[in-house]
Amino acid sequence: MGLIAGGIAIIFTRTNPLTVYHAILVGAFGSTYNFSETLVAAIPLILISAGLLLAFKMKFWNIGAYGQYIIGAMCSSYIALHVSQQSSSVLVLSLMVLAGLIGGAVWATISALLKLFWEVNEVISTLLLNYIALYILDFFMHGPWRDPASHGFPLSKPFPACAQLPILLHRTRIHLGLVFGVIATIVIYILIKKTRFGYENEVIGENPTAAKYAGINVFRNTLIAAGISGGLAGLAGMAQVSGIIHMIQMEINADYGYTAIIVSWLGALNPIASFFVAIILGGLEAGGYQIQMTMNVPFGIVGVIESSILFALLGGELFKTHKLVLRRKKSHRQIQ
Amino acid sequence: MASSVRSGTILLFPTIGEIFAERSGILNLGIEGMMVIGAFFGFVAGNLTKNPYLGFTVGMLAGGLASLIFAFISITLKGNQIVAGLALTIFGLGITNFYGQKWINTKLAVPAHSVAIPGLANIPVIGPVFFNQDVFVYFSYIVAIAFWVILFRTKSGVYLRAVGENARAADAMGISVDRTRYFWTFVGGLLAGAGGAYLTIVYAPFWLDGITSGRGWIAVALVIFAMWNPLYAIIGAYLFGGINSLQFQLQASGTTIPSSLLSMQPYLLTLIVVIVATFIVRAKHIGAPRELGLPFFREER
Repeated sequence: MGLIAGGIAIIFTRTNPLTVYHAILVGAFGSTYNFSETLVAAIPLILISAGLLLAFKMKFWNIGAYGQYIIGAMCSSYIALHVSQQSSSVLVLSLMVLAGLIGGAVWATISALLKLFWEVNEVISTLLLNYIALYILDFFMHGPWRDPASHGFPLSKPFPACAQLPILLHRTRIHLGLVFGVIATIVIYILIKKTRFGYENEVIGENPTAAKYAGINVFRNTLIAAGISGGLAGLAGMAQVSGIIHMIQMEINADYGYTAIIVSWLGALNPIASFFVAIILGGLEAGGYQIQMTMNVPFGIVGVIESSILFALLGGELFKTHKLVLRRKKSHRQIQ
Repeated sequence: MASSVRSGTILLFPTIGEIFAERSGILNLGIEGMMVIGAFFGFVAGNLTKNPYLGFTVGMLAGGLASLIFAFISITLKGNQIVAGLALTIFGLGITNFYGQKWINTKLAVPAHSVAIPGLANIPVIGPVFFNQDVFVYFSYIVAIAFWVILFRTKSGVYLRAVGENARAADAMGISVDRTRYFWTFVGGLLAGAGGAYLTIVYAPFWLDGITSGRGWIAVALVIFAMWNPLYAIIGAYLFGGINSLQFQLQASGTTIPSSLLSMQPYLLTLIVVIVATFIVRAKHIGAPRELGLPFFREER
């Protein structure tokens, strides 16, 4: 469905959609290196969507992974830019992970508190905080963090080697963030399936009034879910600047924060399913970059395909819970 | 001052549209997507036909068409409205990026010019600000007032509010819930498209990727500020328009305030306004339409 919609969009530009899709597939899975790039794109998606699905399960609509990612990346960059070359790598990276987690969590907690205390709609507050985060980054990149050697470009100094996540596989860009992603997926899975928090979380999502009467602490649970979802988005931002970009700049791929919403929804809010969906959409992103470079097809097609798949899924959910009965209107010529 | 009105008009159209969609119980978070679609297709049509008025109309219709995707998913197929709205936004930004590449930094061929309303334009202070504008601004006044009348003084307004407050009761009264919601969601799309088209045809007559830059979300926030009333939407929209043009004037005057902090203002301010507005709405017990965001299943009891 989504592919057909994307195909229609491509036809209008007088290009063969099958050629484009083939190129995306090759770009995503065609070679070992291409597949490694797919995994590189999947890392932030895995991390962010694992957290988001926890929040979505309790109907806390955190749309702010974009901003939480930026703040997480910034907090960890602060550490990376203020350590000496000779620092212990383990220590620096641990501090950066912590900074990313806390930064993202704090940013998400703002919206959670606004909702809990004053019933401020979290969709709007998380979204507005995205733009605010973006301009905070803009401020730092055009001011304190700009490297004098960057000739006026908003780029920071490169991170020292001790602040860069180690590469897992030689000749690829796959970094330690993938391990973070696997751990996060497992932890969230256990949290949802095996703990009281996970159960309460689900009850709040299904029926907040019942949850309150059952003595569930909605306040605490909302704060935890928001904090974890923001924290993982912040960690994804940290992993991207430390593992891939090796500096902080304006373009740090924060759009993963929006794509991850699609991932968690396509994964039916299940951490294991989301993990694999993240790899597939990671492939779409990696393939999308490829065709932009080689065929000059704008990257926007990726958004068109992703949103169309999401539309199809949302529409299809009705048929899971409701049976479709087609009834013909009675006609006079009906056979007795 | 006059530029505040123009800047506010970009927000006024979609805010009114969303007020009506929400009054019918539909929370369409795809405004940003519909706006950017209206902005792009309106701009292209305005350029191809060399007629800004035709371009504006096409932009409106494009926004309306986009809203029908959302309406089909969320009304007919009862899909989750929040996620469907986000999907619409991602779709709009994606498709305009996809087609917009070759239009980037193109200027609009024929701009729309101001038409002073005889008599009214001569009123001191108010005249030049409100009555020496382009046709689209006048159109927005008409829309705001007409929609207030529809909402509070006509039967269809009562039906509309009934559907948003209690769909089951409305259904029992013989009002078609789905048809009402479809119609007002479509109107919301038309107006979001109008806001976007106004942006690229009058306010900033060129095309840039993602030119709406979050204005759709500000419009969603303004609905709360306006307490779901089209007339309050005017105040909200012009207030934000004023801040926006003040920001540009400050930037142009070479202030020492960093531009990133100035650009942050509208979003920060919107956040503060939403907090305050939510507070007032709660204190006055005039909340959102009761069944906002809930799908209506006729068979369920």
